[in-house]
Amino acid sequence: MMRLSGRFRSSLIIGIQGIRARKLRTLLSMVSLFLGVLAVVVVQAGASIAERALLSDLELTYGYDGTRTIGMPPEQKAADAVLTSVKGRTDAVAGISMQGIIGEPGVRPVNEGGAPIGQDWGGGQVCFADGHCEEPSGPKGAAVEVRLTALTGDIRQFRPFRTVSGTWLDFTTVPSMAPRLVLNQEAAKGFRQYQVPAEMRVRGTTANLTPRFVGVVDDGGTEPRAYVRVDELATWMPPGKLVDPNTAGEINVMLRPGSPVEQVLTAKIKAAGLETYVNDVNNREQQEDQLRLMRLVFFSMAGLVLLIGVAGILNVGLATVGERVEEFALRRAVGTPRSLLAGIVLAETLLTGLLTAAAAIGASALALKAATTLAGNTHPILDNVQFPWEAGVAGIIAGIVAGILGGFVPALRAAGIPIATVMRA
Amino acid sequence: MIELTGITKVLKGQSEPRTILDGVDLSVAAGQSVAIVGRSGSGKSTLLSVIGLFDRPDQGRYVLAGQDISRVPERRAAKLRSSHFGFVFQRFFLLKHLTAAQNVAMALVNGQGWLPRRERRARVMQALDQVGIAHLAKNRPAKMSGGEQQRVAIARALVRNPQVLLADEPTGALDTETGTLVIDALLGATERGCALILVTHDRDHAARMGRIHDLVDGVLTERVRA
Ligand SMILES: Nc1ncnc2c1ncn2[C@@H]1O[C@H](COP(=O)(O)OP(=O)(O)OP(=O)(O)O)[C@@H](O)[C@H]1O
Ligand SMILES: [Mg+2]
Repeated sequence: MMRLSGRFRSSLIIGIQGIRARKLRTLLSMVSLFLGVLAVVVVQAGASIAERALLSDLELTYGYDGTRTIGMPPEQKAADAVLTSVKGRTDAVAGISMQGIIGEPGVRPVNEGGAPIGQDWGGGQVCFADGHCEEPSGPKGAAVEVRLTALTGDIRQFRPFRTVSGTWLDFTTVPSMAPRLVLNQEAAKGFRQYQVPAEMRVRGTTANLTPRFVGVVDDGGTEPRAYVRVDELATWMPPGKLVDPNTAGEINVMLRPGSPVEQVLTAKIKAAGLETYVNDVNNREQQEDQLRLMRLVFFSMAGLVLLIGVAGILNVGLATVGERVEEFALRRAVGTPRSLLAGIVLAETLLTGLLTAAAAIGASALALKAATTLAGNTHPILDNVQFPWEAGVAGIIAGIVAGILGGFVPALRAAGIPIATVMRA
Repeated sequence: MIELTGITKVLKGQSEPRTILDGVDLSVAAGQSVAIVGRSGSGKSTLLSVIGLFDRPDQGRYVLAGQDISRVPERRAAKLRSSHFGFVFQRFFLLKHLTAAQNVAMALVNGQGWLPRRERRARVMQALDQVGIAHLAKNRPAKMSGGEQQRVAIARALVRNPQVLLADEPTGALDTETGTLVIDALLGATERGCALILVTHDRDHAARMGRIHDLVDGVLTERVRA
């Protein structure tokens, strides 16, 4: 223990003396290595940021990892089964989706078929409770078609919707007579652009509704959607008319892992002669596949640049050892073990590598900071992005690896210098 | 202190092996001083490098302080160099980026045992004081005369209180007067019980040693004084 710490301290003292005596050399080594370490840091930072953005998008759209989702055909029997088994539960939330057109009565929506605003999907057939459908007729006007999702509870425990403005639905209060609606961003965009009056047509309702818009959320979707409490919507529906058997209909239940609701629900659906589609959310695995190849390509490029930097350190290191032949021979003469000499050379290149890593990490963190403050408003992907710790770790590892690779051969050279050099010089 | 018997060193040259040291016998006790003189190329430095464990003899027995170290492995040799020997060379080999004190401390900061900073400093100052240049502790080599630099080198050799001091033409690069000061410093160490082996071309310096040995073509003989 004593011996080890003595060696360690000795190499530290000698290493720092060596670096201080050769500041310019150290700086040049750092310059040659800087781009390589920077490349590694930037690639890792990019990968982490992209991964995080991708993951949070996937979470918004599909739910947190581990969530179990059960889909079923949009039949009234299914809806009844869902409502009875999910109602009042905190470990499961059902969403029943249907077509809704909000705006001026009697006009075709600007986005028939529920297309993203500004895109035309065509179609836009509207079907009614008695089963007859109307081809779109009349002029397009101040109306927006949305997918209206009626929720039995707070879905944000599964999908972390971000509130953009206003509030999210409050499921704890007594149902309101005027249904409260929360729009996603795409729907809100349509409303902003077309100044639609707030009247809503939903197939099957007994009258047109006058919803109250309480907020806008980011739900990860690109198509206009609106969310409503199922009990507030049902007020306006004749009993047993909640589902839309045509294309726009959809029933989905999200469950915490191990929720007892699943068994009850599937049994009921089965009894009704319908099928369920069970899926467990696993975003991470999915995106791993997507990112693996990209990461491989970028890291190989960064590795190449790093290798060039290592060659730089190696070059400077060999030249330095050549100049220090007498110093090393003398140190051996006064009793310094060869292993310590090798250690000193390695410590110097390692320190250089770590200093470079610190510089590269600092530079990229600053660059990211500048990018987020300058472009954060216009490019949402850059908004509020923190410097990922993985990039810091990658930079430090790159610095250490470069220091070892670049210092190894010079260290061996230093250890091999014969002591007799001091007598023949 | 040192007991050499039949030390032989053969250089495996390009054409045929050359015997540099040929059955050298030498015995030096604590506090003794010995001069080794001989023509250039006679093997004086080679003898010192065997004694100082820079190199091992091909034949013969080397006993240091009662231990046979004829075939000692490098790891132990490094330790012995640190604990038993001090070296002074013709060129001073001071590191120019370090001060005189740091150059002396170099022999303490060598991975062999660890002294706290305070004790290191005390030992360094004591060694510099022994060779009469304590006032130059903070100077760098570039600002010192040759004699002063060589005395820093002697302080470096003395700082671990060695039992044997090996000096290879320490005055070779100095004028007579400065050389005398250097020899004074070396002899000062023998008064504290250190053995001194001095290789020199200077008759006057050799004459100040307790014994003189001649090395001729690798054969060492003691000179009998008139
Ligand atoms: N590494 C070596 N390779 C080849 N020959 C060597 C080597 N080292 C020493 N020699 C030879 O060994 C002989 C003795 O060398 P050494 O340095 O011991 O002489 P010296 O007595 O110290 O001479 P000087 O007074 O010039 O310093 C010389 O002939 C030298 O050429
Ligand atoms: Mg010589």
